[in-house]
Amino acid sequence: MARELMLSGCAAAAQAAKLAQVEVICSYPIRPYSAIMMELAKMVANGELDAEFIHGEGEHAQLSVVLGAAAAGARALTGSSGVGVTYAFETYSPIAGGRIPLQMMIADRALDPPGDFGSEHTDAMSTRDQGWLLGWAETPQEIFDNSLINYRVGEDHRVLLPQMVCQDGYFVSHIPGKVVIPDQSQVDEFLPPYELPHPLDPKRPVSHGPQIRPDQGTVMDMQRAQAMLDAPAVIAEVIDEYNRTFGRNYSPFVEEYMTDDAEIGLFIMGAHTMTARHAVRHLREQGVKIGLVKLRFVRPWPTQEVAQALSKFKAVGVVETSTSYGGAMRGGNLLHEVRASLYEVAQRPLTTSFMAGLGGEMVPLKDFYYMADILSKAVKDGKTKKTVYWVGFEAED
Amino acid sequence: MAIAVKTQNLPPIKLIRNVPKEEYYVPGHRTCAGCGPALQYKLVAKAAGPNTIFIGPTGCMYVANASYLCTPYTVPWMHAQITNGGAIASGIEAAYKVLLRKGKRTGELPNIIVMAGDGGTVDIGLQAMSAMMYRAHDVLFICYDNEAYTNTGIQTSPTTPYGANTTFTPPGSAIPEGKTLFPKDAPQLVIGGHPAVKYVATASVAYPVDLINKVRKGLNQQGPAFLHIHCPCPKGWKFDEAKTIEIARLAIETGMWNMYEWEDGVYRYQFRPKKYKPVREYMKLQGRFAHLTEAHIAKQQAFVDAKLKVHGIPVEVPAPAPRTQQ
Ligand SMILES: Cc1ncc(C[n+]2csc(CCOP(=O)(O)OP(=O)(O)O)c2C)c(N)n1
Ligand code: SF4
Ligand SMILES: [Mg+2]
Repeated sequence: MARELMLSGCAAAAQAAKLAQVEVICSYPIRPYSAIMMELAKMVANGELDAEFIHGEGEHAQLSVVLGAAAAGARALTGSSGVGVTYAFETYSPIAGGRIPLQMMIADRALDPPGDFGSEHTDAMSTRDQGWLLGWAETPQEIFDNSLINYRVGEDHRVLLPQMVCQDGYFVSHIPGKVVIPDQSQVDEFLPPYELPHPLDPKRPVSHGPQIRPDQGTVMDMQRAQAMLDAPAVIAEVIDEYNRTFGRNYSPFVEEYMTDDAEIGLFIMGAHTMTARHAVRHLREQGVKIGLVKLRFVRPWPTQEVAQALSKFKAVGVVETSTSYGGAMRGGNLLHEVRASLYEVAQRPLTTSFMAGLGGEMVPLKDFYYMADILSKAVKDGKTKKTVYWVGFEAED
Repeated sequence: MAIAVKTQNLPPIKLIRNVPKEEYYVPGHRTCAGCGPALQYKLVAKAAGPNTIFIGPTGCMYVANASYLCTPYTVPWMHAQITNGGAIASGIEAAYKVLLRKGKRTGELPNIIVMAGDGGTVDIGLQAMSAMMYRAHDVLFICYDNEAYTNTGIQTSPTTPYGANTTFTPPGSAIPEGKTLFPKDAPQLVIGGHPAVKYVATASVAYPVDLINKVRKGLNQQGPAFLHIHCPCPKGWKFDEAKTIEIARLAIETGMWNMYEWEDGVYRYQFRPKKYKPVREYMKLQGRFAHLTEAHIAKQQAFVDAKLKVHGIPVEVPAPAPRTQQ
């Protein structure tokens, strides 16, 4: 029987790992993700989970240990936050390029300087072009579900890619929410045992990662790109099965809220979606024609789905919780992708971005009302004034 | 929760004619003629046999071996970054432990061998190597020491000897000796701080039977072991490629390289010369030392003498005292 528990995002992530029966885990302490490892360490110590729990000597080692383990044929899990995510950077491409489908659980944290415990998506977002599946959750339930879904998608032989399963630090990672935990047997049916096509096994010798000629490099890059192109169909298929098996209701890539007849829209991912949804409901009560589109996967980027969802608005505000210093939009990363997705659309909405939730700042209702105001004005004026607003830190527009 | 799954006992061999005929590191690779590291690879692979997984951090034994999607390894092999040989090996070992425990693999825990250069062992790879030793993984970590970052074009590494001319320590009027520092001592680093390690040894391509037996001893250990193998590199050290073995032997005869085993806290020495030759005899055959003055060579001699004393090896060659004149 499925159980219903109140769990933080970290505890929910650990429950997912336990039900996925991960076999090798590698830890290193950094807040806030470390709470996932604390939970897993207890499970291993109590004999609830039969896994090797390895204390990595840093995040670079964490990723390397799980790479070795997953290449040898074990389901492997690691995780990190903030500067830990960037410390491991060398390893991301070899893992994705080696097509080793391990999982990394991220609870976001701002990068230094200065030392900041707060959540910000820049840590994991900075890895987005290495060939990892990458997406955010809004609630502990969603992080639990995303973990199982990602294992299944990443390990599918049509995909074979590593997965970064992200949750906002504290807002999701440390605030308990209702989580429905299915039975082991149900999970076993959904998630077959980990199987790599060519594991390291002296009975069937293979070489992993030999040098190549430059002209072979393009071919391998194209294969990695193709895996990302093939992933969406598998994601859709797996999420459909997940919804049916576990009684959930996820859209694979973008979820819409109150978008019917909406004129302005917020485009957002992760924890602050919850507040945004409340703001949208309140504004609707006041007659503002606003809707919300939540993004579930940054990689693979759902170009069509984003274009379709956003082209029904007259103006869209992209909520950015990551930085792209000097980028084309002068703010975060998402607006680049949003504008690129809309390029082919005949009736493009106006777009701008709102830097919000950086450094772990809350994004209260009033911030979303401010965004709605700016978007409404843009609709009236038929143009946006600029591509980025630093919400709460600029003089009123 | 880790359970012992290795019961193998690879027997020692007595004579060169007992060396296994089977090759697990086969011809066709692209190492230089006379390459010391390639020679030791062949011997290590023979010693370990077919139930083996190699981890190859970036370096000559990756780039010159595993070129253009062809590799000379007939056992499983995995590239590691130059940074993380120890960590990847840890993960492979952990995976095998859990997979064997769960019945997902059968047989013995494979021999897991990291084949790292000196850079991949005591410089950029030090952290991963040390952590693997500390965590007691059942892995044999081999440092094939060619005393430089050779694959990148012969740059100084922490094991490059004092006075060597490398592309990052060229001798010049301001710095006449080239490299001014004395090398890190790889086996002593391992012995000094890793309680899980029970076996550390040095070896040389000059003595293949000894090398094979040390590999086997290391592999028979439950837990981590470390081998430091002296591997002359004709290209990097600038000597005639026909002289690899001669140079390797001279290193031992002059005390530039010491052959020993450290087992459970006890040292045993091998191939200790009755009388050490002066280091000059070793250095004069190599272009990397060609620029050195007598004073520089004396400084190297003094370093070797002091090191031999630390090891409790009597110094029988009268060492020329360093001259004061610079
Ligand atoms: C992170 C990183 N930095 C630098 C390099 C460049 N690099 C490639 S091979 C190599 C030399 C390795 O030296 P060593 O470990 O002694 O092996 P050798 O080439 O001497 O056999 C270096 C520095 C790299 N591959 N990765
Ligand atoms: S440079 Fe030295 S170590 Fe590298 S292949 Fe040539 S001889 Fe061997
Ligand atoms: Mg070297």
